[in-house]
Amino acid sequence: MSTAKNQKWVYLAAVLLVGAGVGYLLFSGLSQNSVYFLNVSEALAMPAEKLSQARLFGMVAEHDVDHDPSAMGVSFFALDKDEPSKAIRVHYRGAVPDTFKPGVEVILEGSFTADTRVFEATTLLTKCPSKYEKNDKGQMRPPGFAG
Amino acid sequence: MHAISFTALLLSMLAAVGLTATAGMKALKDDFDTVALLEKGQILLTIVVLAVSAVLVQALVVRDFSYIYVRDYTDTFLPLFYAVTAFWAGQNGSFLFWYLCVAVMGWCMIYTPGYSRLDNRTKVFFWILFFLIEIFFLYALTGPSNPFMKLDPVPAEGRGLNPLLQNPGMIFHPPLLFLGYAGYTIPFCLALASRLSGNSREWLELCRNWNIVAWIFLTSGIILGAWWSYMELGWGGYWAWDPVENASLIPWLAGTAFIHTAIVGRTRKSLLRTNVFMVALTFLLCFFATFVVRSGMIDSLHAFGGSRMGIPLLVFMVATLLLTLHVCLVQRKDDSAHIDDFASRPGMLFLASWLFLCMGGIVFLGVLWPVLSSMWSANPVGLDAGFYNKVCLPLFAALAFIMSICPWFSQKSGISDKAALGLVLGAGAGSAVIMFVMGYSQPLALFSAASGFMMIVSIALYFVRNKGARAFLPSLGAYGVHLGVALMVVGVAFSGPYKVEAEAVLTKGQSMTVGSYEVMFHELTHDHDNPAMDTHAALLTVTRGGKTVGSMAPEKRLYRNFEQSTFAEVSVIPSLGEEIYSTLLGFNEEGAVSLKVSVNPLVNWIWIGGTLSCLIAFLCWRKIERR
Repeated sequence: MSTAKNQKWVYLAAVLLVGAGVGYLLFSGLSQNSVYFLNVSEALAMPAEKLSQARLFGMVAEHDVDHDPSAMGVSFFALDKDEPSKAIRVHYRGAVPDTFKPGVEVILEGSFTADTRVFEATTLLTKCPSKYEKNDKGQMRPPGFAG
Repeated sequence: MHAISFTALLLSMLAAVGLTATAGMKALKDDFDTVALLEKGQILLTIVVLAVSAVLVQALVVRDFSYIYVRDYTDTFLPLFYAVTAFWAGQNGSFLFWYLCVAVMGWCMIYTPGYSRLDNRTKVFFWILFFLIEIFFLYALTGPSNPFMKLDPVPAEGRGLNPLLQNPGMIFHPPLLFLGYAGYTIPFCLALASRLSGNSREWLELCRNWNIVAWIFLTSGIILGAWWSYMELGWGGYWAWDPVENASLIPWLAGTAFIHTAIVGRTRKSLLRTNVFMVALTFLLCFFATFVVRSGMIDSLHAFGGSRMGIPLLVFMVATLLLTLHVCLVQRKDDSAHIDDFASRPGMLFLASWLFLCMGGIVFLGVLWPVLSSMWSANPVGLDAGFYNKVCLPLFAALAFIMSICPWFSQKSGISDKAALGLVLGAGAGSAVIMFVMGYSQPLALFSAASGFMMIVSIALYFVRNKGARAFLPSLGAYGVHLGVALMVVGVAFSGPYKVEAEAVLTKGQSMTVGSYEVMFHELTHDHDNPAMDTHAALLTVTRGGKTVGSMAPEKRLYRNFEQSTFAEVSVIPSLGEEIYSTLLGFNEEGAVSLKVSVNPLVNWIWIGGTLSCLIAFLCWRKIERR
């Protein structure tokens, strides 16, 4: 059992087995869970069917911010940070962070619906400009963090 | 004091450069009499860094806003305790803290029995490497990351500490991580120095305790971070696979793999170069973690902003990597033995290490994916939390399974105790069936939880059947750590997939249902007596089947110095079974509140298991005889 040659084969088999398993997991993860990181203008330049899952970086427009009466959602225009003339309408359902207001930078996760031209966001995070720039652990947080 | 502190750091950098150059030149001429000088140099560097750290702490205590650093991270409202901890709240301070840890550890090293066993040649190489690392820190502290910058004119008030950092969990999370990062410096220098001077084996034994201490610090730092995330951030989870969290996990995965290859290295005299590489990799990844957090290269949800430390860190990492590769690959002479068989304990340890490394590689890939993908894609592609859960959780489950069967294999080849292994596997199958019948049928969670139970049974059985193991402290320690891990595995397997969550808007007297619980909202209170913050709290009571379970009061806080945003303070009804967790998302003038409530099964076992692991690991310490 423990001759050098035999041992080599056992190792090779084990490496192949582990490699194949990890490879499969990686492949399925990479193909199903990758999301585009896009600015608003980049998102507008892309075909909508490629945006079934995307992370969008933009700025909240001053006009047409409609809060859901139940305080559990908001609709607004997200502007491109560099080209404010480009905008995407965003529907978001969920807890709206307190820091959400016109002019702040937001990070959205969700999908773009081709026929309505609306970005349906499942996550909305705000990025605070000056105050936290230097702080160690940022205040930005994944789903549901409202503070 | 600004200039004095800065000059002191600058002078100690010059001294370190001088010492390194002198020792290096003499070493080239085969002269290794510089040891005493180098030790004195280390003591001097430590005294200097202790003194300048005291200066910074003093400035933080009295809120001397003439320091930019003090202005940026404190204000006069901040309690003294948190003001002191602002030491490591910002980049510049945290670098100083990291360097302080490295220097003090270097000083301690001089008096350890392990150090006394080294020959002069190895000692000189050790100090040269150690000083080079210290020079890097001193360069950072006197250049791009200077905590002693002066502000003129002096403002009357500071900017305050981020409220999220004003929490006991967060306050000890960063220093523990830095202690862990610093702790790997000594094993790294020892490994490379031993290898350079031709002693390829003894270092594993000598750095064992350092390695354990570094691992304990890093592990407790990560677990505390997860607990803080759960208790403070109010999103209901404890691990979000954010790049910054992942950054500290990568060195942990490498370090844990190294602990296991080191066992094989010590007991079987094999994997000698592998071990050198592993410890160097761990050390390197600690800097990579800092690089991810500080360079601004990765667009994380955390708002860090770019810093000037990116390039210096990159240069340092590349240099370290080249040196390591040179030592591991070019200096090939070796007397390493082979592992006898895969179905043996060393074989299993080796496999476990590979799995840890694989996961490290995957997380590394995930963190860098937005950067890598921009090579072939016009727009960067990132990975969401689903990627990590899908890829890493099965590997963790496989690891748990390997851990549960490993004790029953012999050192050389084959199964040493078939009856016990059968019993363990039987217990696993039995627990799986019971959980399945109880309705916990998610396959991966079922397999993980069953593996966790198998680990517990396996460890208990091991001590029943091995008298020797009971009496030997390091073995008690090693298995105790794994018992903690088993509890964590079970905790994660349940709290992840079986969490129930609900959001609702309630007015006074209304209630909502979460799982089998009824949550009723009584009233919204307002406390504005505290000068530092304004607090609103929602009073809730929880019942199950008509019986009262407890009450909660999740809060919304408005900190005086952070008026743009409110901060949610979660409230829980703690339980070893199902923990009820609530966050106050918002409220309006009429007194209606928007709430998020979740039921987290077995979540506290993660913290219990984690604490147990970290504490028991101290038993693994082994006394090294002085020479």
